[in-house]
Amino acid sequence: MLAFAAIATVMLIGAIGVVTLRQPVHAALSLVGTLLALAIAYVQLNAGFLAAIQVIVYAGAIMVLFLFVIMLLALDGEAPAPSLTWLRPAAWGAGALALVAVLAVLARDPIGPASPAALLEVFAGSGAEGVADQLFGPMVLSFHLVGVLLLTGIVAAVGLVQRRAGQAAEARARAGRAGADAPDAPPLPGREPVEV
Amino acid sequence: MDPYWVIFLKALVMSVLLLGGFAYLTWLQRRLLARFQHRIGPNRTGWEGLLQPIADAIKMIFKQDVTPTHADKVVFILAPGISVVFALVAFGAIPAGPANSLFGMDPWIVDLDIGLLYVLATTSIGVYGIFLGGWAANSKYSLLGSLRSSAQIISYELGLGLSVLSVIMIAGTLNLREIVEINVWSVSPLLWPGLLVALFAFWISATAEVSNVPFDLPEAEQELVAGYITEYSSLKFALFFMAEYVGMITASAFISTLFLGGWKGPGFVDALVPGMSEWPFVWLFLKIFVLLTIFIWLQASLMRFRYDQLMRFGWVWLFEIALGAALLTGAVIAFVL
Repeated sequence: MLAFAAIATVMLIGAIGVVTLRQPVHAALSLVGTLLALAIAYVQLNAGFLAAIQVIVYAGAIMVLFLFVIMLLALDGEAPAPSLTWLRPAAWGAGALALVAVLAVLARDPIGPASPAALLEVFAGSGAEGVADQLFGPMVLSFHLVGVLLLTGIVAAVGLVQRRAGQAAEARARAGRAGADAPDAPPLPGREPVEV
Repeated sequence: MDPYWVIFLKALVMSVLLLGGFAYLTWLQRRLLARFQHRIGPNRTGWEGLLQPIADAIKMIFKQDVTPTHADKVVFILAPGISVVFALVAFGAIPAGPANSLFGMDPWIVDLDIGLLYVLATTSIGVYGIFLGGWAANSKYSLLGSLRSSAQIISYELGLGLSVLSVIMIAGTLNLREIVEINVWSVSPLLWPGLLVALFAFWISATAEVSNVPFDLPEAEQELVAGYITEYSSLKFALFFMAEYVGMITASAFISTLFLGGWKGPGFVDALVPGMSEWPFVWLFLKIFVLLTIFIWLQASLMRFRYDQLMRFGWVWLFEIALGAALLTGAVIAFVL
C-alpha cells in the first residue's frame, strides 16, 4: 500500500506536470515519468508483461516520436496563446463531467480490492500467456480490426505526404524550366531526400 | 530466489564489474585499433598500458565541468544519468551460469519471466539520455546528433524486435534462463536457415542500436563535431561514454544469450574436463569478449553510412529480411515440425 501511494504520487505529479509545464519537452518528459511509474504499478500487480509492453511501446517508441517531432519543429514555450477562447471553459466542463461520471459509477458500484489469489491466477508467468490467450482466442477478430485501423491511418498519412511531395516536386520542375540557365535535374519521383 | 540483500549485493558487484569492463574495453579498443592501423597504441602507463584507463579516469574527474549558458540545466544534468543507469540496469536479467553455481547462489540478478522484453525495454529507455542531452545543450550540432540518433534507434528497433521473434517462437518463452537451457539450435536443423538470418539481422540491428560503426552517425566527427556529446565535459562526458561502452557489452551478452548458447560452453569440452561446458561465467565472458572484438574490428574496417543509406537499409532491407526470417521460422514450426 505504501509503495502504491508512492507510485501514485509520482504519477499524479507527472500528470499535473504534463498540463502545466510551459516547455513542450518538459511536458513530454513528465508524461514519460507518468508512464514509467504506471509500469512500476503493473509490476506490483505481478503483470510484468504489461509493464514491459508499457515501457517498450509508450515510453520507448511513442514518446520518443513525440519528442522527435517537438525537437524537429524546434517548439519553445513562448508560442502565442491559442485564440480559441471557448477552449479553456470547455476543457474545465469536460473534466468536471468526467469526474462526476467516475464518482457516480463508483458510488453505484463500489469496487473492493481485488483478491491477491485472483490476481496471481490472471497474471501467472508475468501475464504473457494470459494476454496471448485472450488476444488470439476470443479477441482475435477485434485484434485484427485494430490492426486494419492502424494501417488505414498510416496509409492516409503517407497519402497526404506523397501528394504534398508531388506538388513540391512539380513546382521545382517548373521553376527549373523557367530559369534561363540549365535547369536542375528533376528529382527522382517518389524519393524525397531526407534532411536531418 | 535469493534474499533481497544478496540480490542487492550482486547488483552492486555487477555494476562495478561493468564499469571496470568499460574502462578496460577502452584500452582494448585503443590497442586493437592501433594494431589495425599499424600503430602501437597506449603502452606507456603501466605494463602494456594497462594503467591507462585509470589515468584517463583521474584526468576526467579533474577536468573543468562546463555547462553552456543557455542550456536547460535540469535536463542537461539528468541526461547522462539516464543513459548510464539504464545501460547498467539492462544487464540484470542476463544469466551467467546454471542455478546455484555462484557459491550456492544464482549467477543472475533476477530471473524474470519476461527477461527478453525487459532487456529490450530498458535499452529503449536509454535512448532518452542521448536524445535529451543533445537537446538540452542548446547547440545545433548536439541537436542534429540527437535527432539522428532517435530516428536511427526507432528505425532499427523494428529489426531488433522482428529478429528476436524467431528465437521466441522456437523457445516458446521470454525467460532468458529458459532460452539458454532450451538452446534454439538443438531443436531441429530445419530451423537453422531462419535462425541464421535472424542472428545476422539481430546483430546488425544491435550494432545500430549501440551506434557502433558503421552506424555511428549520432556522433559523426567530420560533420557534427561530436554530435549529442559536443557540449559535455568532464564527468558527464565520461558518463555518456560509459553508457555507450556498457551498451556494447550488454549487446554482446544479449546476442550470446539469445543465439549463441549463453553461458553454456560447446559440448566437446566435456570430453577434456567433465562438466567444463557448465562452468559459470567463463563461457559467457569468452563470448562477450569475442563479440566485442568483432565490434572493434568493424570500427577499423567499415565506413560510416550516409544518412539516407542508413534509413533505406533499415526500412527497406533489414526490416524485410528480419520479417522474412520470422515468417520462415513460423512456417517451419507450423507446417513441418
